[in-house]
Amino acid sequence: MIGNAPFFAVGVLFLMGLLGIFMTKNLIKIAIAVTILGSSVNIFLVALGYRTGGTIPVHFLAGEGTTMVMPTPQAMTLTAIVIALATTALLLSLIMLVWRHYGTIDVDEIRRLRG
Amino acid sequence: MWGKVYTGFGYWDASAWILFFFIAAFFTLWLRSQGRSDYKKGTEQDEIYWSGNEVPEDGEDITVPASSAYWGFRKALEPFYRGLLGIHTGIATDIVGYYVMTVAFLAVFILLV
Amino acid sequence: MNWNDHLPALILIIPLFGAFIAPICSLGGKTARNFLLVVISFITLIVAFMLWRHVLANGISYYVMGGDKFNLSLPSGMALPVRIILEVDAFSAFMALCGAIVSFAGALFSVNYMNRFSGMGRFVSLYCLLTTGMLGMMVTGDIFNFFIFIEISSIASFGLIAFWRDKPTAIEASFKYALISQVGSMLILIAAGTLYGKYNMLNMAAIGSVLKMGTMEKLALVFLVGSLAMKCGSFPMHMWLPDAYAEAPTGVTCLLVAVSQASLYGLMRVCYSIYGAAMGSSFIPWMIIVFGLASMFFGVSMAVVQHDIKRLMGYHSVSQVGYMLLGLGVGLLVLDDARAMADYGFTAIKGGVFHIFNYTMYKALLFLTAGAIYYATGKRDLNEMGGLARRMPYTTFMFVIAAAAISGLPPFNGFVSKLLIYESSFAVHPFLAVVALVTSVLTLASFVKVFQTAFLGPEKNSLAKIQEVPAAMLIGMAVLTAAILGASLFPSWTLSTLVEPAARALVDQSGYIGAILGGGM
Repeated sequence: MIGNAPFFAVGVLFLMGLLGIFMTKNLIKIAIAVTILGSSVNIFLVALGYRTGGTIPVHFLAGEGTTMVMPTPQAMTLTAIVIALATTALLLSLIMLVWRHYGTIDVDEIRRLRG
Repeated sequence: MWGKVYTGFGYWDASAWILFFFIAAFFTLWLRSQGRSDYKKGTEQDEIYWSGNEVPEDGEDITVPASSAYWGFRKALEPFYRGLLGIHTGIATDIVGYYVMTVAFLAVFILLV
Repeated sequence: MNWNDHLPALILIIPLFGAFIAPICSLGGKTARNFLLVVISFITLIVAFMLWRHVLANGISYYVMGGDKFNLSLPSGMALPVRIILEVDAFSAFMALCGAIVSFAGALFSVNYMNRFSGMGRFVSLYCLLTTGMLGMMVTGDIFNFFIFIEISSIASFGLIAFWRDKPTAIEASFKYALISQVGSMLILIAAGTLYGKYNMLNMAAIGSVLKMGTMEKLALVFLVGSLAMKCGSFPMHMWLPDAYAEAPTGVTCLLVAVSQASLYGLMRVCYSIYGAAMGSSFIPWMIIVFGLASMFFGVSMAVVQHDIKRLMGYHSVSQVGYMLLGLGVGLLVLDDARAMADYGFTAIKGGVFHIFNYTMYKALLFLTAGAIYYATGKRDLNEMGGLARRMPYTTFMFVIAAAAISGLPPFNGFVSKLLIYESSFAVHPFLAVVALVTSVLTLASFVKVFQTAFLGPEKNSLAKIQEVPAAMLIGMAVLTAAILGASLFPSWTLSTLVEPAARALVDQSGYIGAILGGGM
């Protein structure tokens, strides 16, 4: 049970991110909630690769340990972090432009496209 | 290349349709050519009839705008459109909300069924 | 070196090269940059066509990125494929061909359409990047790589939709798309991670060969289906689509149509080739059919009352995606029942796949004609337009062809694919065919309204001085018109050469798996 603790943390963070998107009206807080959502998925990916008693997945000058953790989810996580970075940068620049045009960053006020 | 498309229940033949179209077009154009061509262009005989009123110069004033094109359809289905347009609020978090609710609904029901 | 072997990699590298070269080329002036855009799109179209011919002649074509040989999928005694493998079967090649045709038409259109705007070096770069992302979604055989290409195309789309930074509505549309796209992509990543955690493999064919339905696989399927259906624009999650399609510059909207089709390709790849026979219950096929019906009907009901021409066409996109989901869902429903499959299931899949081709062509053409109207008159609101047919005869002609095709009027190609979908869905339950027919009637009603108010009618004084659009834009529209007319006049040739191999490849899950796992050394 204690070995599943990372996955509980993933679930809690994911729900926090998701609830953050709906409970707040400020666009920047929504962007922060999306970032928390991305972080929870990254923790999920890293936690998937763990093998009991494993050491770092480096073969050269390895030392005595023979079990290694899986390197593939680590590569996946790095890629996902970079992508989330690019998306967050774009989201924040769009929020800045929204503020410049609409004068408000309340999500209920930004509704010129509706119906 | 000009073959028939066989669906399981019948077939569609594009060349037969085009042949019938040309036959019908021939008859239509022949009927149209039976009209009179001895009217004087550019005079009163060429004007449109607008229920006896003055025809305005600017085409702007005699067009029916697009928003009133299907007003009868819309008025008849007013309760449906009120509900449908009520869902499309345009608020960003509502859009994400419908998406999350759909995925949650699918996740719950796929584990039950 | 045989060129044909390296085509799957070339189709990704050429637009990517164009994307990186574009800022340097724009230092050479406007002509150099426009020339680069058109040449890169044209070469991509040629490569996609050659890839399609190669796959039709030689079966599934796969390419191992970074391996010693291009087709060494199982190196020296390993049981699992370990590198990123691009796997192109007939369905992928078909979709890549559709996407490349649309990208070329949009590039030709943008050459003149965007000549009033600055920052075009960045536009060309983002456009080529969006093309790369779309083609990557269609040729990849690895589920994490699929997520990467979804993100590449999404990020390029955010920038392109918000390209006119001075319009507040464009920024708002891009923000809404960015928000829902990011949440959706995170769910796709969770699904990919779940499948990795269970089977220790990321390759789609390898997962398909060992998949057994359990709780985690069901959740992964639900996340994938929900998120990919969102990116196509199916009913409850479609609200970003009319906004994004309306506010983007028109060449970009044309390409976004193909990008949504790439997400539909991903959805079908997941359902037919990864899960396929292991799907078990018919919950997901019925849910896809329900999404299809809802998108069809509610999409067209919203479209009838719009008065902004591009937003109206965006809602029609939602409705047409419903047709494809209906056809492909009916096929998925009877995938394991051989007799029903031969009766109406395979016809439904053929109808759905043919509709993908038809929809991509006529919807891109409709958006280009709306863009031509905006370029000539400066207006997008139907209430202010009228009598344009006198001054823009070519645009009117092409609009009539596209509107007749989308409404399913014979003899155009829309009628043929809709006929296949009506007849096969009628065999499942008559109600499905009734909804499809009502939607077709309402689509015709909506386009009659657009044609009457925009093109027919008396000439307005405010629009007395407009002219036909420049030649490059007309050539871009003519490319798509030629594709529509070709599919309309030769439907049985198109069905047997273009659609049937694609439909057969989609249904053939064991062939898809065997190409990677049975191949290599």
